[in-house]
Amino acid sequence: MRAIRILRRRLHCLFHGSHADAELQREIEIHIQQLTNEAIAEGMTEAEARAMALREFGPVDRIKEKCRDTRRVSRIQDFVQDLRYGVRMLRQSPAFTAIAVITLALGIGANTAIFSIVDAVLLRSLPYRDPNQLVLMFNVPLNRPDALSGISYRDFTECLAQNGAFSQIAGNAFHDLTLTGAGEPAIVNTADVTPEIFPLLDAKPLLGRALLPEDGKPGAAAVAVLSEDLWRSRFGSNPGLIGQSIALDMRSFTVAGILPASFRYPEGAPHQDVWISIMQDPLFGPLASKPGVRVMGLIGRLNPGVSLAKAQAEMNTLGARFAKEFPAEDSGFTIQVQPYREAVVGNLRPALLILLSAVGLLLSIACANIANLLLSKATSRGREIAVRIALGASRARIVRQLLTESALLGLLGGVAGLLLAAWAVRSLRPFLPAEVVQIGSIHVGGPVPAFALLLSLAAALAFGLAPALLATPSNLQSNLKEGGDRTGQRGGQRVRSFLAIAEISLAMVLLVAGGLLIRSFALVTSVNPGFDPNNVTEAEVSLPQFQYSTPQQWRAFADELLERLHAQPGLQDSALAVPLPMDRQGQPAFAFTIVGNPPLPPGKSTTADYATVSPGYFHTMRIPLLRGRFFSYQDSPSQPNVAIISETLARRYFPNQDPIGKQMRFGFPPNGDTPREIVGVVGDVRDAALSKEPGPMMYVPFAQAPLYGGEVVVRNSLSASGVAAAIRQAVRSIDKDLPVTGIAPFRDSLGQSTSRERFRTFLLATFSAIALALAAVGVFGVISYSASERTHEIGIRMALGAQRRDVLHLILGQGAKLALLGLGIGAVLSILLTRFLASLLYSVSATDPLTFAAVAIVLLGVAAAACYIPARRAMKVDPMAALRYQ
Amino acid sequence: MPKPSDLLQGTLDLLILKTIVRKPLHGWGIAKRIQTLSGDTLSVGQGSLYPALHRLENQGWICSEWEESDLGRPAKVYSVTPQGRKQLERELKSWNRLSSAVHLLIQNA
Repeated sequence: MRAIRILRRRLHCLFHGSHADAELQREIEIHIQQLTNEAIAEGMTEAEARAMALREFGPVDRIKEKCRDTRRVSRIQDFVQDLRYGVRMLRQSPAFTAIAVITLALGIGANTAIFSIVDAVLLRSLPYRDPNQLVLMFNVPLNRPDALSGISYRDFTECLAQNGAFSQIAGNAFHDLTLTGAGEPAIVNTADVTPEIFPLLDAKPLLGRALLPEDGKPGAAAVAVLSEDLWRSRFGSNPGLIGQSIALDMRSFTVAGILPASFRYPEGAPHQDVWISIMQDPLFGPLASKPGVRVMGLIGRLNPGVSLAKAQAEMNTLGARFAKEFPAEDSGFTIQVQPYREAVVGNLRPALLILLSAVGLLLSIACANIANLLLSKATSRGREIAVRIALGASRARIVRQLLTESALLGLLGGVAGLLLAAWAVRSLRPFLPAEVVQIGSIHVGGPVPAFALLLSLAAALAFGLAPALLATPSNLQSNLKEGGDRTGQRGGQRVRSFLAIAEISLAMVLLVAGGLLIRSFALVTSVNPGFDPNNVTEAEVSLPQFQYSTPQQWRAFADELLERLHAQPGLQDSALAVPLPMDRQGQPAFAFTIVGNPPLPPGKSTTADYATVSPGYFHTMRIPLLRGRFFSYQDSPSQPNVAIISETLARRYFPNQDPIGKQMRFGFPPNGDTPREIVGVVGDVRDAALSKEPGPMMYVPFAQAPLYGGEVVVRNSLSASGVAAAIRQAVRSIDKDLPVTGIAPFRDSLGQSTSRERFRTFLLATFSAIALALAAVGVFGVISYSASERTHEIGIRMALGAQRRDVLHLILGQGAKLALLGLGIGAVLSILLTRFLASLLYSVSATDPLTFAAVAIVLLGVAAAACYIPARRAMKVDPMAALRYQ
Repeated sequence: MPKPSDLLQGTLDLLILKTIVRKPLHGWGIAKRIQTLSGDTLSVGQGSLYPALHRLENQGWICSEWEESDLGRPAKVYSVTPQGRKQLERELKSWNRLSSAVHLLIQNA
């Protein structure tokens, strides 16, 4: 009952607020009238009586405000009123509003955009059931835990039989096969798997069936499962495809089923088109039977409640047992377990967290800037606020009102920032590094808008609180007396200076981070890769292995292709290689031994990167010969096996001796034990990535170690499309069913290899540029405000004989003090924080003095420029006018 | 144990409720009546009377009506609600407890 009455009354008050106010007015009026009447009865004149009644009653407005405060509804009412008032205030000063909203939009926008990437990559769960149960397993040498390699099929079956920690284990390898007979021949990404992977990943086919255990047995009929994409694009979504056969590498496979587009595996890698049993793969199938070939990656699903540590412990035991049971292959190796998510996003996390911190700093600077603007504005509103407090508004009430205004500003900035982020994410998507795009769809949706909203409210509180508290001083009198423009002046100026110093120091941190990345990127891109990538076009030719199944056929094809290419004008400088630099996608290094050296202790091995190249390769790539000779066409299979080694290999393993004429044993499996004579030493090549120091490399002539196809490199000055057409034509003239893929200038591969570096450098450079601009605006605001405050003082100084130069020094000195303090703090912060960047830097120290100095000079220059305008204005002060004005 | 300020406020609430529990009154009347009944010892400042009335009304302990009055024109007349009566009893009890305690202390200390 009571609750209802109170509610009714409050609702009444809410909707009839003005009515209630009128009633209150009338009630008080009656009281005052009675007091007046009494006084008249005591013999006063009416005027005297009225004055005396008002005196006795006390401050009417304050009492009214108190009465109003008792209505709880006033919270809501106040809020609505504050909101209206806030909108009015923002509209009254459009320049201020625009600057504040733009500043905030930059801050919130940058945060939201980065958060949308973080959300997609780090927060959103992987699209599998209980993704935290998924782990990958690798063979690693005991002495080099970072050198991950696959696991042999034999060891996989042993794991299946002996493990207790996993509910399922499956093997997978990836291979490009050629699809023919359905339009243009095409390369299809093929996943070679063991059938356990489908239940493990909960893959439910859209049509037909997935691979069954019996499909994985050696000698089973060849069946394939296709992706929905391939089924739609190549086979017109024909449901009758199930049971029909398709040709992969010229061998017929029966289509068993179609996997829905929603099924994606692996994450963070190219989309897979075809799924077959690893036993049916032309390359890996035969290798699977060799116990020494680590042919597959392993994925496992942990039993519920089994910890990673327990699984790792079990694998350690298993690894030790393998080493004992199969010493020839497994001695010196153990099995490492890695959470699947870690494998997918682990290497992206540091960079993303750094970007997230960077935008956090940016938002802090934006907030400091807006707080500064608000402070100046609140100061000019000091009189208005003082009057309201005098009329009985409580301090809390005014603070609430000012905060409502900030929140309004925050929301406007938040909406603008959200739009900015949506635009930025869309236009940046093409530049995102491939592995980021492949992980998940990045868009401003899901939790992202909520994040932006919360962030803008938090920002509003951050930039609104100090100005609101400072604008409502406890000492009212001075406010009214001084005409309001000295409200909290001391405190205000101190807070403003503090904010400017904070802005400069935060901007310094961002600029140093940006500067370090830029310097590191410049070093990476200007590094000598060991070859000349200009004017080189690359293309890939892959031979279907069922048609071209013997090394003799591979060799014959390569000879034929190079002969036809060399016959064409402009294509004489061309060669074939596997793999090219920058194309070493997880290609393992091969072990080698030096003939004549004492055998290595068990568990130790020497490895080097391996490439098989045609004789013209070194010349085409402009890789210099340091000793001995290049390969020639005389290095044929009937001649002794030869090899060329890189400078690093020669230096590291043949110290103080001439390697020419020495013999090494190595080769592409299963020819790992072939002795080869070293005939030459060539310059080092950055082979894995531009930022990776060149490691030891060994080359063999293609004719002595042919592969099923390879990569063609052509050096010439023709247009890229002309070269592409010429290469295609040469390949087609040999075999019209052969696809040529990946025709591109070699420069593009180089660009690809640094796309991650480029992207984060670009982002951080942009953020630090914005930070610099914001800090400049901040310093400008503080100095020009303080200069205009000091007009009177400057007038007196000039009247007393100060020169313009002195005034200039006065103002610039103030700015310099802020800037130097900011730089000092910023330098300390940077030294503390940039160490987190160290892992992203290439041959630049995280405390690179050159970068620090350059940033300090830039910041000082910008601060000086920001002070110069107000200083000029102060110099022009007319002393007479300044003195008279006050 | 209420704080001193609560005690003061509580006391004013008690006085108002007690004053109008028999006969509804307007603000002016309440102030006058507290003054006369206390033998001019207590004078309620308007500065606290009206906020107190509005607060009590908001709490649902008193309600108001605009009625013709002895002042020659309609006035806002306050009367005690049933909840207000209960509140009055509670306040009287706690006041009695307090005042007798204070009395005892003064007598015996």
